[in-house]
Amino acid sequence: MSRIFNADHGLMRWRKSRTWIIACLIILCALEISGCSMMGKPPTEALANAELGLRAASEARAAEFAPMDLQSAREKLEGSKQAIAAKRYEDARRLAESAQVEAELAEVKAETEIMRRAAEELQKGIDALATDAERGSRKSLSKGPDKE
Amino acid sequence: MNRDSTLVDRWEFWTALSLLAVISVGCEAVRNPSLERARDTYQRARHDPEVVGRAAVSLDKAGQTLEQAERAWTKEKDVTEAEHLAYIAEKRVEIARATARRRLAADEIQQLKSKRE
Repeated sequence: MSRIFNADHGLMRWRKSRTWIIACLIILCALEISGCSMMGKPPTEALANAELGLRAASEARAAEFAPMDLQSAREKLEGSKQAIAAKRYEDARRLAESAQVEAELAEVKAETEIMRRAAEELQKGIDALATDAERGSRKSLSKGPDKE
Repeated sequence: MNRDSTLVDRWEFWTALSLLAVISVGCEAVRNPSLERARDTYQRARHDPEVVGRAAVSLDKAGQTLEQAERAWTKEKDVTEAEHLAYIAEKRVEIARATARRRLAADEIQQLKSKRE
């Protein structure tokens, strides 16, 4: 590259500014990365919310009706605790937040499934009543003349 | 200053400028697939009258999280946080959909009960 500039003066200037360019690049990279590596406090609130959410999901019978989401939430909560132990607080917060939202999803899904089944049962009961009534009315229709 | 040094000056200047341009434009133009997917999921729910009608609050929550994700992506340039928030937003849309289905089932139960009587 230096062959382009035959004057020593130019070469020196090029070297000087090259250092500056490299320095700028390093600063830029540092700025990009700093967001991830900053140390903070352990995410106690996020963790508490996740635990609360998981308990609510269990109470809503999520183990029965939304096992996959519940399992995933449990694993994320576990991961969050491990991240706290390793002092990776940002990771821990994200994992706890994911666990909370997944637990909430498991809870709502379970509630929905229970409701849907209840509606189905009710519909079946009504259908059974209707066919019974139909049969009953047919019987009374065919037996009608005898009775009178 | 001779002609060579001004040439060098210009050459350096343009190198630095183009490097900076590549870096900043790269950050701006690079598309984030998880954010795009979250946006798409949210928009589809927004256009679903069943979800909008029965789970507006849950859907708004999803929208707020999506906005946070957009901000993390465009302003703070925090890829990890943007992707995390995009994931949360998607889950919140799922919650809104499930809530809508739950309320639909509850309404059905109400109707069936009144029909039975």
